[in-house]
Amino acid sequence: MRLLTERVDSGLRELWTDEDTVEFQVDAARAHDVLRTLRDDEELSFFMLADAAAVDYGSGERFEVVYHLFSWKHPGWLRIRAHVDRADPRIASITDLWEGAMFHEREMYDMMGIVFEGNRDLRRIYMSPDYRSFPQRRDFVLPDDAADSSAAGVNPLERPETWDLTRFNRAPAVTFPTSELRPGAPAEAVEDGKTLADQSRPR
Amino acid sequence: MTRIDAETRIPDPIELDRLEEDRLRTVAGLAPLRTESGEYAGFDQVGIPDRPPQTDRERDVYSLGEGEMLVNMGPQHPSTHGVMRLVVKVRGEIIVDIDPVLGYLHRGIEKLCENATYTTVLTYVDPMDYLSTMHNEHAPAIAFEKLYGIRAPKRAEYIRALVVELNRIFSHGLMMGFLALDMGGITPILYAFINRDEIVDMLSAISGQRMLFNFFRVGGVNFDMNDEFLSRLGTWRGRVLKNIEMNEGLITGNEIFRSRTINMGTLSGQDAISLGVTGPNLRASGVPFDIRKAQPYSIYNELEFDVITQEGGDSYARYLQRIAEIKQSIHLIDQIIDKMPHGPVQAQVPGIIRPKPGRAYAAVESPRGLYSVYAISDGGPNPYRFRMRDPSFISLQALPKLMPGRLVADTMAVMASFDPVMGGVDK
Repeated sequence: MRLLTERVDSGLRELWTDEDTVEFQVDAARAHDVLRTLRDDEELSFFMLADAAAVDYGSGERFEVVYHLFSWKHPGWLRIRAHVDRADPRIASITDLWEGAMFHEREMYDMMGIVFEGNRDLRRIYMSPDYRSFPQRRDFVLPDDAADSSAAGVNPLERPETWDLTRFNRAPAVTFPTSELRPGAPAEAVEDGKTLADQSRPR
Repeated sequence: MTRIDAETRIPDPIELDRLEEDRLRTVAGLAPLRTESGEYAGFDQVGIPDRPPQTDRERDVYSLGEGEMLVNMGPQHPSTHGVMRLVVKVRGEIIVDIDPVLGYLHRGIEKLCENATYTTVLTYVDPMDYLSTMHNEHAPAIAFEKLYGIRAPKRAEYIRALVVELNRIFSHGLMMGFLALDMGGITPILYAFINRDEIVDMLSAISGQRMLFNFFRVGGVNFDMNDEFLSRLGTWRGRVLKNIEMNEGLITGNEIFRSRTINMGTLSGQDAISLGVTGPNLRASGVPFDIRKAQPYSIYNELEFDVITQEGGDSYARYLQRIAEIKQSIHLIDQIIDKMPHGPVQAQVPGIIRPKPGRAYAAVESPRGLYSVYAISDGGPNPYRFRMRDPSFISLQALPKLMPGRLVADTMAVMASFDPVMGGVDK
């Protein structure tokens, strides 16, 4: 604990210990640096990312990205809670520190809508690509409004007219090729909002 | 015009298919899928989503170079151990890239649990990783006990460790069978299921359920051990080593099995840690990380066992690791039976518990690796946030890393050696 405060110096708040967990908070802007120090410092050497999860503290409050780390040199788990602004949820990706954080971050993006800057593959992992809400936020209405989704019951790849890509365009972390889609893409597959698949259904 | 065979007078079926496709494309107002020389030009486009890529990585996977094509493996492929789709980019028989597409089994269990009471959460987590049901219940039970500030009685902890180790044995046994099955060997899976059914019947005698046991409670377990369980346990213990040896004898020295697993999917310890691979797969790469030793939970600090590692890091090492762990688990079960204390199996806990606001993290060593739960209480009867980290979900990331340059047929062999369960991957 003392070592932790020395090495990571400023920015640690609300240090707190449990029977088997040491916990502190950092700002989203510093989270990446702190995690790098914790991993690379020889006396700390928290080599393993045990878990990365997002928590929603309700509208008007904040998001939290919670990392759990493990080190041979210290007993217990280390929990780092990074506060993320709920109106503009952005935090630096840690996929450059642990490759395995990729699926964690994709899941957090899918479920909570947190954008991880620097992640090469930030797209939905469980829900369909055209899904528009973030189901694990606290303000997601239950029974879930997935039943009203444009994609309900239909293979979303067959309904490209429903894709709302403007939301992605607003987020610079998610990049698009600027050219006309892709060369060689089957652009002719969609006409008048109808696809080949629609046309070829048994009549 | 349809080409008609001169002798049999039967139209060429492939030609008929093409004509039908052309007709459908004409109906849809699309250009025919032919080049000017009459070659079929449709294959290259199969599998590419009809929308702009959302990320750099997606653009890399779905843009095809010279001689490359995309093949969908799944979602109903018999060897995907559930419902999952692998988009495989191949050049001939060689894999260039893999993009796993998940979510076919997504049930939103975390969200369900956040709307359930603490007691009922333990029933929701059962069908997640359906081959390690006892472990699924163990981690939330520990987390909720931490939140509520109670401990399970000693006897309950011993019974928990007993059923959890039994569960590990049948899960590892099935993995050995499935791995052989994915390489075309049918027999081992039949023996693996015979061994598994013995354990499952035993666990159904103690819990009343055959697969989704719902055995753990906050503050203990549902039932004490009964006579049927003990007699089945005794019978099973008498012949388990012989059974495993027999199954092992079918696989371990098999020339085909060895040539298809040795040096296949080799994962270094450093890469495995970076990718978040845990459990037997990590230990097969030579990293002695076992939660039971690293962060002892339940009664594991009172028991004596070794953390076994392999050096290879390939599919064969992962298979050998499973056998070694089965033997360790049997060793653990012997000790647990020896040391089993008397006493109650359930602490006094009300039906609906309202823990004080707080946070708790609990991790257990499931047959697939580090399975952990992060629970937050706000003082109400439901968990405010209930997060589960499933090991097979994270381990799956090793597949796109390992497979490029290998043959398509080896994909399933390597994937089976990681032993993912899609119920856990998709939550």
